[in-house]
Amino acid sequence: MSDDTQPNQDPAESPDSDAQAGVPTRRRVLAMGAVTAGAVVSIRPALAQTAGSVLNCEIPVPDPGRAGSYIDANGGVVPARTKGAFPPSTRAFRGEEVKRAMASGSTLPGTDSDRSRAYVKYIRRLQRGQGGFTCFASLQMPRG
Amino acid sequence: MSGTIFWGPPDNGLLIAPLDEFTAVYHRASGITHLLTEPAPQILAVLGEGPVLLDALLARLAQDFDLTDGTREALAARLDELVEAGLVERT
Repeated sequence: MSDDTQPNQDPAESPDSDAQAGVPTRRRVLAMGAVTAGAVVSIRPALAQTAGSVLNCEIPVPDPGRAGSYIDANGGVVPARTKGAFPPSTRAFRGEEVKRAMASGSTLPGTDSDRSRAYVKYIRRLQRGQGGFTCFASLQMPRG
Repeated sequence: MSGTIFWGPPDNGLLIAPLDEFTAVYHRASGITHLLTEPAPQILAVLGEGPVLLDALLARLAQDFDLTDGTREALAARLDELVEAGLVERT
């Protein structure tokens, strides 16, 4: 009565481990190059359905969890008054401002070029859970 | 570039669903869903094990697969796409 079940040819090929690791247990060919349209297509979240919501979102520098800290030339967050580092921004930047600075190399409002470069590096390094990350991630999505 | 370290989101940072030709990846932090084609899911799987250098990543993939176009340049190009999508970070 169980003729419909698939024969289990190789007990090592567990579907679970296959899906989780993304690495098949048997050896096969993987093409690293020659991807015509790229290997990644991003789908906009509901958040980004209107351009306005993306361009008006805000990115504080640094995020509120580290308010008062300085930003060094590499975009790292360092203790306040660290020599050579830049004070925090007095206001959060709007998505539109960040996008423009990244696209054209113009400076963020109220900053000179060195400071703007440091802030943009900080923003590029934003990670999950940090204030402004979702805004930044939204900016990177292809416009369509 | 050779000293660049790459890493992916933490274990619970992604929801991964294989869909025939594609692999759908939901990035919890950004709320963005990405459709990946090979070799991106395989690269993400290795990066999920921890931060890794480009050469080590290439060697690791070569362990598991017979690579075609298995050059550093090709892998770097795929990594660039993943970095741009926000799925991979690098030093």
